[in-house]
Amino acid sequence: MSAQALTLFWPFCLFIVVLFVIGFYCLLVTFNLIRALIGLELLIKAVTLLLVLVGYVTAHEALVQSLVITLIVMEVVIIAVAAGIALGLHRHNKNLDTRQLRNLKG
Amino acid sequence: MLSLMILIPLACLLLISFLPLKGKRVAFAVVMALAFFQIYAVFSPSIMANRHLPGLASVFNFTLAVDSLSRIMLLCIGIVIFIALLAAGPFVKEEDKRFYFSGLMILELMGLNGVVMVRDIFSMYVFWEVAAAASFVLIALEKKRDPLEGAFKYLIFSSVATVFVLSAIAIILLISGSTSFTDIRVALLVTPHSNLIILAVGVFLAGLFMKAGVMPFHGYLPDAYASAPAPVSILLAGVVTKTLGVYTAMRIVIDIFGFSTALKSILLCIGLISAIFGALAAMGQKDLKRLLAYSSISQVGYIFLGFGCGTPLGIAAAIFHIFNHTVFKSLLFVNAAAVEDRLGTLDMGRMSGLASRMPITGTTSVLASLSLSGVPPLAGFWSKLFIILALWQSGLYGVAVTAVLTSLLTLAYMLLLQRRVFFGTPEKNMAGVVEAGFNLTLPAVILAILIAGVGLFFPYVVHTVIFPVVSF
Repeated sequence: MSAQALTLFWPFCLFIVVLFVIGFYCLLVTFNLIRALIGLELLIKAVTLLLVLVGYVTAHEALVQSLVITLIVMEVVIIAVAAGIALGLHRHNKNLDTRQLRNLKG
Repeated sequence: MLSLMILIPLACLLLISFLPLKGKRVAFAVVMALAFFQIYAVFSPSIMANRHLPGLASVFNFTLAVDSLSRIMLLCIGIVIFIALLAAGPFVKEEDKRFYFSGLMILELMGLNGVVMVRDIFSMYVFWEVAAAASFVLIALEKKRDPLEGAFKYLIFSSVATVFVLSAIAIILLISGSTSFTDIRVALLVTPHSNLIILAVGVFLAGLFMKAGVMPFHGYLPDAYASAPAPVSILLAGVVTKTLGVYTAMRIVIDIFGFSTALKSILLCIGLISAIFGALAAMGQKDLKRLLAYSSISQVGYIFLGFGCGTPLGIAAAIFHIFNHTVFKSLLFVNAAAVEDRLGTLDMGRMSGLASRMPITGTTSVLASLSLSGVPPLAGFWSKLFIILALWQSGLYGVAVTAVLTSLLTLAYMLLLQRRVFFGTPEKNMAGVVEAGFNLTLPAVILAILIAGVGLFFPYVVHTVIFPVVSF
């Protein structure tokens, strides 16, 4: 790890941790389907950033670049499916409130 | 030739998508053929041999490998896809829905095959997501309210699990600078950062436990299983969560991290909690599929108990139990599908004495229940016996005794199910009920024969299939 990489490491780490915390907070407190998806996005963005940072620090930029591009594609697929499901729920419930999702329990 | 197991489904998927509308009717048959091919391929040494593809096709050479563990999983995947397709007939009726269903099944097959065969941590993630995305859509395919709700819960949990796993991959990349299993294993042995490794193992396992739906992380699982259409429940309970969660955990621990004392105690602890509380929660269920879902959680606990011993016997027992669980849980879900098809409900309070109305469903479900509760000489007995022997051998006497007692709980809730649904005399509202159609009784009979066959010929099965797994 070079000296320059080290100076960048800790600010980046801090930022990633903040993103993780925001993402989890968002998932935990929100009652809105779309906001839950935004929280999920924040979490995945934090992980993407973490991968980029790791690639930079260990000087494996090429490997990590391909990983991150794959990750972005997979993320889009998941979010598209999630948005479709949220849309379907909106059609049935006429709102996006997660508190309406109490049909299944036991 | 191993890449064929991924390339052929992919090619079929592309092919059926470009067919004209009339040709799309063959989609079901294509998936059926793929499932047969998978079962054939597992026993064919020329496909299982890791030769490279010749000529132009050599572009598609991934780093794939199979060992006996992967082969058992591939076999399970083939069987369950076949059974789920057979059972799909009465539940997926519209022409276009059938086409989407078949396409997603192929995608699921491809994703699961990939997860089982790759030896590269990032490709594993990619196939993971392929399989997971396909199963979200499969659950929500009917666009009814409850399946959408179950799919959304599953999606959120599963994505958070993915985030955990990806963070662990990033940490592993930081330590080892590589993504292939062998490189990582070598790098982890020499690295001075032992704290980072512990963090990586912890985060990775947390993600995998979520995917496997073991007890503290199980919130989504009963919802997803119970709300999904019947063939999708068979698929989810039979292979999806087992491959994505349990198999991956085994693969990661055996190939990369290796067993340490702390890891073993985590696995045993999770397994024990899951086995006991899954069984207790199953006792109080009113919905047939929900009961089976909780029972699934409990059985995954057993698998982790066997695996957590870390001894060859324990690992073999865990794998044997995965196979048995696939067979008997698929059979129980097929029976649930037959009941749902005939009665239009899964509420156990509204069922009675169905065994006299539906003799094949009744008989096979008794067989599956007994196998699940570990009654000799059925298949489930031997794997549970092995798990308990492995626990005893490792000196974990308390855990072994608890596992035996939990097995009694299992018998209790399965008998409860049998008594409410199948035994006794049918009430008046059951008068018009007849046996389910051919495509729900045929899979039930096939699986019942498998249960009895594996149970009766278990010395042969164990020596040729199960024990080679641990001879590494």
